[in-house]
Amino acid sequence: MSDPDTETSVAGAPAPRGALDISIEFSLNGEKQNCRIDSNAVLLDVLRENLGCRGVRGSCERGVCGACTVLVDDVPVASCSTFAFAVDGASVETVEGLAAADGTLSPQQRAFAECGGYQCGFCTSGMLMLTTGLLRREPRPDRGTIRDWISSNTCRCTGYEMIMESVERAAELTAAQDGDRV
Amino acid sequence: MTTVSDRSITRSPRTEARNDVVDDRVANGGYRIQELPTAPPQHRLVGRDGPRADATAKVTGKAVYGADIVRPGMLHAKVLRSPHAHARIVSIDISAARALTGVTAIVTQDEIAGLQCYGTMVKDQPVVATGVVRYVGDVVAGVAAVDERTALAALDLIRVEYEVLPAVFTVDEALADSAPVIHPDEPFGVIPKYGQGASASLRSEPNVSYEFRYSTGSSDVWDTCDHVFEDAFHFSRMNHMHLEPFVTVAEASADEIEVWTSTQAPFNLRKELSRVFGLPENRIRVHVPLIGGGFGAKNGPKADPVAIRLSQLSGGRAVRFCMTTEEVFLTVSQHAATLIVKSGVRADGTFIARRSTVLLNGGAYAEHSPAVAEKAGYRMPGAYRWQHIDSVCKVVTTNTVPAGAFRGFGGTQATWASERQVDLIADRLGLDPYELRVRNLKALGEEFVPGESGIDSDLVAGMRVVADAIGYHQRARTGNRGMGVSVGVKDGGGINKPAMARVKVTTRGDVLLNCALTEMGQGGHSAMAQLVAEVLRCDPARVAYARIDTDNTPFDQGTNASSGVAVMGQAVRTAAENLRDQVLDWAGAQLAVEPAGLALVDWHVHTPDGAVHDLFPMIMEVFGNTGFEFSADGFYKARNDRRAPLEAPCVFWEIGWAAAEVEVDPETGRITVLQLAVSGDAGKVINKIACRGQDEGAAVFGLGQALFEELRYGPDGELLNAEALLYRVPLAEDVPERFVSITQEQGHGAGPFGSKGMGEGGMLPVASAIAQAVADAVGAQITELPLSPQRVYEAIAAREAGVSR
Repeated sequence: MSDPDTETSVAGAPAPRGALDISIEFSLNGEKQNCRIDSNAVLLDVLRENLGCRGVRGSCERGVCGACTVLVDDVPVASCSTFAFAVDGASVETVEGLAAADGTLSPQQRAFAECGGYQCGFCTSGMLMLTTGLLRREPRPDRGTIRDWISSNTCRCTGYEMIMESVERAAELTAAQDGDRV
Repeated sequence: MTTVSDRSITRSPRTEARNDVVDDRVANGGYRIQELPTAPPQHRLVGRDGPRADATAKVTGKAVYGADIVRPGMLHAKVLRSPHAHARIVSIDISAARALTGVTAIVTQDEIAGLQCYGTMVKDQPVVATGVVRYVGDVVAGVAAVDERTALAALDLIRVEYEVLPAVFTVDEALADSAPVIHPDEPFGVIPKYGQGASASLRSEPNVSYEFRYSTGSSDVWDTCDHVFEDAFHFSRMNHMHLEPFVTVAEASADEIEVWTSTQAPFNLRKELSRVFGLPENRIRVHVPLIGGGFGAKNGPKADPVAIRLSQLSGGRAVRFCMTTEEVFLTVSQHAATLIVKSGVRADGTFIARRSTVLLNGGAYAEHSPAVAEKAGYRMPGAYRWQHIDSVCKVVTTNTVPAGAFRGFGGTQATWASERQVDLIADRLGLDPYELRVRNLKALGEEFVPGESGIDSDLVAGMRVVADAIGYHQRARTGNRGMGVSVGVKDGGGINKPAMARVKVTTRGDVLLNCALTEMGQGGHSAMAQLVAEVLRCDPARVAYARIDTDNTPFDQGTNASSGVAVMGQAVRTAAENLRDQVLDWAGAQLAVEPAGLALVDWHVHTPDGAVHDLFPMIMEVFGNTGFEFSADGFYKARNDRRAPLEAPCVFWEIGWAAAEVEVDPETGRITVLQLAVSGDAGKVINKIACRGQDEGAAVFGLGQALFEELRYGPDGELLNAEALLYRVPLAEDVPERFVSITQEQGHGAGPFGSKGMGEGGMLPVASAIAQAVADAVGAQITELPLSPQRVYEAIAAREAGVSR
């Protein structure tokens, strides 16, 4: 099956406005970014609208559902509830940074695809970043740990079992990949 | 080209309980079945493992949803909502807002002259409130501006003067003689042509927008009952809480409308917009990207009318209206309900007669309520054998958020009351609730009611599957633990639902599937691509699901009623078969052989003598340098039958079975669900991952309703928990330690390869199974949802005080 609808382009960033604009510099998926932003802009909007990371999903905008989860210096955060200025000097990772440059899926991505750890897919970017953060901290988490971590994000479709299995599988695939590298 | 489904069950039943499908991980405290009874060996794809077709787009973040759509020069809309539950609009002053730099248009009651109201069957909802606001959150005005911030600033400058009117929030308040009439002018409405036993009326009472009735059998049988029990049940109201909010991007002039919108039903939306805006349907184009969850909420216009009108008022510039989650809560909800059930039974537990009255809290506008009402009323008998049924369901208008389609569609309300009363009857007669069900459940093939389709699952066998999965029959009654089982049924596949599909294949054998089944998470696109690949015997990766827009996509009646696989699947399969036959006819002519003996495999033609002919060079030779595309259509509609109560017999019966074990803390009333087993009958699995996800997702939806999900209103009709922080949906930590879903393949479905729809059935029986487990544990029979600690505690206390319910 082909990629879904791409006929409607995502337009470039709206120009920053007002006297309160500030300049920040951070690493986004390994690349340096310099942006001028409104001082009260949230990270979610900057990522989606200024930097074209539309894989970061906005939903509750209350820091509750976790659909907008990104990694800031390896820590999963709700980008809807993080001021953009707070990532000045930090390393930010989004779902766009997971796959290799040639399109090869990361272990987490392969695991979620294989185990069906998504349905509508709106929570998936956040769940993937959560998983990435978890596995960096604990490469072989047990079921209870996975459940605790996944409980910070909402999925209304799956009933969570397939997500938790996806995380377990991601741990296996990551270990295998890291083993290959050694 | 019409395919008429054969509803008589003549195939040999394959209904053995699949106890053997539970794998050893379950025994080890795990979670899953391992192997489904698989498709016959000649099927390469159907029923096999394999990732869904939308996997890569979704795990890379590249999937495009309505919320991602951007058009050049796009404006942004925000709306002003009523702070009052019921009030007359005295005046609206928009002058200051209009003067704000960056504001391009404002829509109020003065800018919608000539536009019609919308709603399913009863059309009573205006584009923006006109004259009167009817609930806290009703849209009073909309603003389009260069960005959301400017639009929000403009809203602050709009001055609305209200005269507050008395309001009603519950069905009892709304039905009282003294209640204010919420819609004084009778709205336009239509009643379908019901069949035998069913009827409906509009505005049967001042605050009743729709009343459905169904009756069959003679009421004389009440005289033969040894016992008659009457009980009242209450059903709480949930929010859909789909993660992608309602969103529309509209480009509209006076003559033409184009929208990119998160809708489950593009053609229904087009028809409704045609009515509202007075334009022919061929001047309206609806595009549907991927949908970030819907669960029924995305049927019917949501963000669309306001966005369209604002675009018209902004000179045709694109206007995006993306609601916040808080606004989603104020747009549509599930129906709270009061259900009164009177059942007559013999002393041995044989069911004889059931009379029921369902009062749905429909909120301020009819929305999808009439259709939900007919289903809620119709499904009150459950899957049981009654000699007489008399059922009434009323949609009661109140000053609350409009209620509409919701996973289970009236079946959840009906199952809660119907199944709960079965348990109460068992309790009173001293019978085992499981045995009472077995004694009265309809058999495979037995008509649900006269003129209706036969039940196409073995209900008893299915119940045994979930009961065995939790060790129901081996349970030792210890402490405050208990178990319950439940079964819910709903007619699936929609009513009178036509579906069309088109398959076309390029010269090289790349396939484009065109049909309007929207992908909202259920895996429908994947299943459809598998069906096409199965028939054309090609790699499913070669099948692309064409983007949906109403100008180019063949007609469909909407993605709802769990109809995707069974209804659209038949159209898709037929289209693929027609295409295959067309190609083989053509190839036969080229090769001068009879087409009957030819096979199409991976865009090669195999002849009976074993020769293989690549189609690509054959096509190039005949059609020239660009080649050619073969194209074929498919159509499906289940048979009409005027005897059927709801216009046409249902396509299939969607069944959900659940069994639960709980532990109740009598000191706090807190329930811990120790085990939950759910099962649906897929008939025949097309996509394993999708079937499993549908059942498990639905079960956890039901778990939320059972334990804690509930929209709560303040004294003035304001929603108290209308945001993600306060309205809690199940999280991973809420899923029971032992949670098993078992997809059955009983094989009697009307869909391709015997499949049936999934997605709603798993929600139906969960709350009632848990409630019975609570009764089994502590003897407290609870009739109201959710089973909150307070409610459980009070029920235990009342029981201990010897207070009869």
